[in-house]
Amino acid sequence: MASTGAEVREGLLDAEARAEMERTWRPRPGLYGWLASTDHKSVAKRYVATAFLFFILGGLEALLMRVQLARPENGLLDPDQYAQLFSMHGTTMMFLFGVPIQLAAAIYLVPLMVGTRNISFPRLNAFGYWTYLVGGLLLYSGFALNTGPDAGWFNYVPLAGPEYSPGKRIDVWAQTVTFTEIAALVAAVELIVTILKQRAPGMSLNRVPLYVWSILVTSFVVLFAMPSVALASLMLAFDRLVGTHYFNPAEGGDALLWQHLFWFFGHPEVYIMFLPATGFVSEIIPVFARRRIFGHTALVLALVATGFLSFGLWVHHMFTTGLPQLGQSFFTAASVMIAIPNGVQVFCWIATLWAGRPRFDTPLLFVLGFLVLFVMGGITGVMVASVPFDQQAHDTHFVVAHLHYVQIGAFVFPLFAAIYFWFPKVTGRMLSETLGKWNFWLFFAGVNLTFFPLHFLGLMGMTRRVYTYLPETGWGPLNLLATVGAFTIAASVAVFLANVYRSLRSGRAAGDDPWGAHTLEWGTSSPPPSYNFLHVPVVQGLYALWERTPDRPVVTGMQTRRREVLLTTVLDATPDARYEHPGPGLAPLYTALGLGVTFIGAIFTPWAFVAGPVLMFGALLHWFATEEEKEGPPTHAEEPA
Amino acid sequence: MSARARRAAGLAAAVLLAGCGTNLSAVDPAGPQAARIAGLAGFLTVAGSAVFLVVVGFLLYAVWRGHRRAESAGGPEVERRMALWVGGGLAATVAVLAAVLLHNLATGRALAAFAEPDALVVRVTGQQWWWEVEYQDPSPHRRLLTANEIHVPVGRRVRVEVESSDVIHSFWVPNLHGKLDLIPGYSGVTYLRADRPGVYHGRCAEYCGLQHARMDLRVVAEPPERFAAWYEAQLRAAPPPADSLQQKGQQVFLTRKCAMCHTIRGTPAQSRIGPDLTHLASRGTIASGTLPNTRGHLAGWVVDPQRIKPGARMPPNQLASDELHALLDYLQSLK
Amino acid sequence: MSAPRTTVDVSRLPTVTFGHRNLLWWGTLGFMVIEGFTLVLMTASYFYLRLNEYAWPPGRTPDPDLLLPTVNTVLLLLVIVPMHAVKKAAERHDRLAVGRWLAVATAMTLVVTALRWWDLLALNARWDAHAYASAAWGVVVLHATLLLVDLFESGTLAALFLSGKAKQKHYPDAADAADYQYFLSLAWVPLYFVVYWGPRLL
Repeated sequence: MASTGAEVREGLLDAEARAEMERTWRPRPGLYGWLASTDHKSVAKRYVATAFLFFILGGLEALLMRVQLARPENGLLDPDQYAQLFSMHGTTMMFLFGVPIQLAAAIYLVPLMVGTRNISFPRLNAFGYWTYLVGGLLLYSGFALNTGPDAGWFNYVPLAGPEYSPGKRIDVWAQTVTFTEIAALVAAVELIVTILKQRAPGMSLNRVPLYVWSILVTSFVVLFAMPSVALASLMLAFDRLVGTHYFNPAEGGDALLWQHLFWFFGHPEVYIMFLPATGFVSEIIPVFARRRIFGHTALVLALVATGFLSFGLWVHHMFTTGLPQLGQSFFTAASVMIAIPNGVQVFCWIATLWAGRPRFDTPLLFVLGFLVLFVMGGITGVMVASVPFDQQAHDTHFVVAHLHYVQIGAFVFPLFAAIYFWFPKVTGRMLSETLGKWNFWLFFAGVNLTFFPLHFLGLMGMTRRVYTYLPETGWGPLNLLATVGAFTIAASVAVFLANVYRSLRSGRAAGDDPWGAHTLEWGTSSPPPSYNFLHVPVVQGLYALWERTPDRPVVTGMQTRRREVLLTTVLDATPDARYEHPGPGLAPLYTALGLGVTFIGAIFTPWAFVAGPVLMFGALLHWFATEEEKEGPPTHAEEPA
Repeated sequence: MSARARRAAGLAAAVLLAGCGTNLSAVDPAGPQAARIAGLAGFLTVAGSAVFLVVVGFLLYAVWRGHRRAESAGGPEVERRMALWVGGGLAATVAVLAAVLLHNLATGRALAAFAEPDALVVRVTGQQWWWEVEYQDPSPHRRLLTANEIHVPVGRRVRVEVESSDVIHSFWVPNLHGKLDLIPGYSGVTYLRADRPGVYHGRCAEYCGLQHARMDLRVVAEPPERFAAWYEAQLRAAPPPADSLQQKGQQVFLTRKCAMCHTIRGTPAQSRIGPDLTHLASRGTIASGTLPNTRGHLAGWVVDPQRIKPGARMPPNQLASDELHALLDYLQSLK
Repeated sequence: MSAPRTTVDVSRLPTVTFGHRNLLWWGTLGFMVIEGFTLVLMTASYFYLRLNEYAWPPGRTPDPDLLLPTVNTVLLLLVIVPMHAVKKAAERHDRLAVGRWLAVATAMTLVVTALRWWDLLALNARWDAHAYASAAWGVVVLHATLLLVDLFESGTLAALFLSGKAKQKHYPDAADAADYQYFLSLAWVPLYFVVYWGPRLL
């Protein structure tokens, strides 16, 4: 291609700017650099990797339980081990895998998708990750020391209270939950602010990608759901540690208060995992159907409606507690109603596939698998939303089947689709399609093999959380089938790990945009540079890359010698201010450690609530004092004066 | 949905669930409450399966149709058709959900309106990990205390009042009715009626600690006259030891740990910590449905309950073999 | 790249902005939502526990004292005055005024926070007496925790401004601290009525 003089000159200017941006934004070297990083991408990568590690641990716990249940009166696990395993499995999958991995993916993708250089509060973001890590390590250290929680992931009182669960097991659970709640809350705040204030010029609200919408709604759900469980776990900790009586019926406390607070969080939590998954699906379908999505506005409204309705469902976890008839009818109606926005989403996706020219790469396969499993889980969801039916199905394996169809089908499948889709962007390398297809089909077969039989077991009277059963119940064969299914899923995950390993070593180079996708992250290199975009792009349509004019307009006039991001207005995304972001530093790590001392110490002595905050006070002073990184390895010597 | 389809669904479920050795099925009702719920379950299953097939059918068609296109479809005409189909899908969803909701509310009302005179009032108290059963009666000496086995007359409504003395449990006899939680600080009421004689199994359905898996109960539905005879027999104090071996067994019971927790009416053993054993030999199982009530199992249970039900509140009992045999003889005489 | 680029020049945009034009303001708002909603849930739990008792306070527990909590509530509301001055001074970038008024506000908040201990004693029941006491302590302690956070924030900012180390970008931070203070003071008013007047009225 012949180049004009102007082009050459621009290219030179770009190279100069690129070098300077590199100096300003690049990560610091060595261990210090790793610990001090506040780049949303490196924090998100370790966040995703940690959460995935917990997914594997939670999966292994499930596998052990499935082996125990493979035949009646099996002696592999004793009841105490089984109780710890199912409590760990639930806690891990919900608090250490489900919510964190969705927020972590958003921490990676949202700043790129809205065309900014970093997440809104980079140090808070790093603090969130460290806090989450402290929580995860606490839970698994407890488990390793035979102090793993054993009263379920839901910890109903009084069983989890001081009288029936002496020892430290439940305290470990309560504090783990507190850590993960804090991590989720700070992530939600950062994501909301990033989405509202840091969108690239031109990305008015009606041009915001559906995935970003899903994260916005999810973050608001987090904001209102997480305080509930944080409060509940604090009350539980106080009941256990200093003798308050929130949940003690003998002193005017109330066992159902726990259930209300827990499920007021617990039900929306399902949507915290599910809504971003619908965001993945809405991004992936148009790319692989090779056409615009049908019903963009309807999909946005469906997201918002689902977010609101998710707060009206919590009582359907309490249909057997003997609540008044009228209240139950209300919650049944709300639970049934949530099927409407979800139905709209499914229909819009199917319509898009119908009108498009689908390309059956692995991401789309996982999306199609998602649609099948999600419809199945949604239908059993409507079934258990019915009070009379739920009175039979509740706390049986029917519900185990339902919730795994929903969680795996509607959350893990889209997650795998998203990994296959965005892996090239994050690493610069493609995953193998062949292994991807094996991964998909084994997973799809495994999920159905494991969980379909559980519907029948539930109706046959098999309750949940039982470590064994008698041969004359006749539950043996179906349980064996489910165990075979569980191993199929394990094989599928093993194929996936092999695929990742292979790709990282020798995967095909991806290039900027291997799929012909339309969101902004595909407009920068793979992996993206530390500053994400050399020039902040100007957005000209809902499909940013499909709809831009040939001259590819960009923003100029940003400072390149400091970490500057562009703030835009909430509705129209017109440029409003330039804002300097803090650089790397250890303050987030110190603060998270101070928080760790506070809550872990509190398990052993209430004085930790005095000592911990003093440490945190020091850490926070450090935080404020180091806004423009003055310590650390002397890297700025190289920077131009 | 037609009655025929509903019967077909019920039949399909029954075929699928046949072959289990115990009466522990939510879709094999033995009373009006469970029957209403099973009817609703059948409706939901058929409606749900239909919706599933239709949606997945559309999905497969869409993918197949799209795959054969040379070019993605677009333009106002295509958009209009898509809007029409999505709108139609939405309308169908709302219609199905409305039907589900109505069926649902109707079933809920019918369950709540199960009004007939009570033949019996039974108070069931959940404990880690067994069920105390107390038949209520206006006259105190006709009240009856037993455990883990509830006898009821066929065809008569029974009022079951539930409460818990420790953690949350849930009372569930699937062939008769859905479950009801036993929550400390709350009391709950449910109504059952068994229309066929039989032994219906029940389980604790809310996780309640280590031995949640082994907290079963039985509901024995009998013709009213047999029930009345059972009740009279149970009201009587335990029969006195019939021979010297049983005599010795009673001494073992009263002088060892047994009497610290259990009651045998007619003897000085009067504690309510563990299950009432006055008519232990009349029950079908021991250890809350864990084991059949045979001499061998009873021996194993008395000597080392922790091996059978680890975590159970009953301690092991070291007895000389002649003491054990005497005790077993005595316990087996408690008809 | 073929055509010359259309560009949007942002070099003239301000780098220090206040209120909703400032990133940190949105973050503060987010945390107000979280904390406010936690207080709402705590209060809801208080009322839920109320349903379990015939009398409130239960048994022979006396009603909470009113005098000191009322005085302290008024004092907490008065902190709004110096904080308002902080906000005005920050908007006109008056370093010394910001520092001084922040110091006044910090001192007042310190007094309020210290008096919180006697607010707790005024409940006339220890936290482990019964659910009523636990609930009332819960409400007061939760708000007191937020007061400590606020104390830390305004204290640090006061030191920053008085020592002359404050930069331009800290002025919006001071204004945000004022907003947060308004939130804390106003949020306390309903809590005060629930905890100290509720037992007389419920």
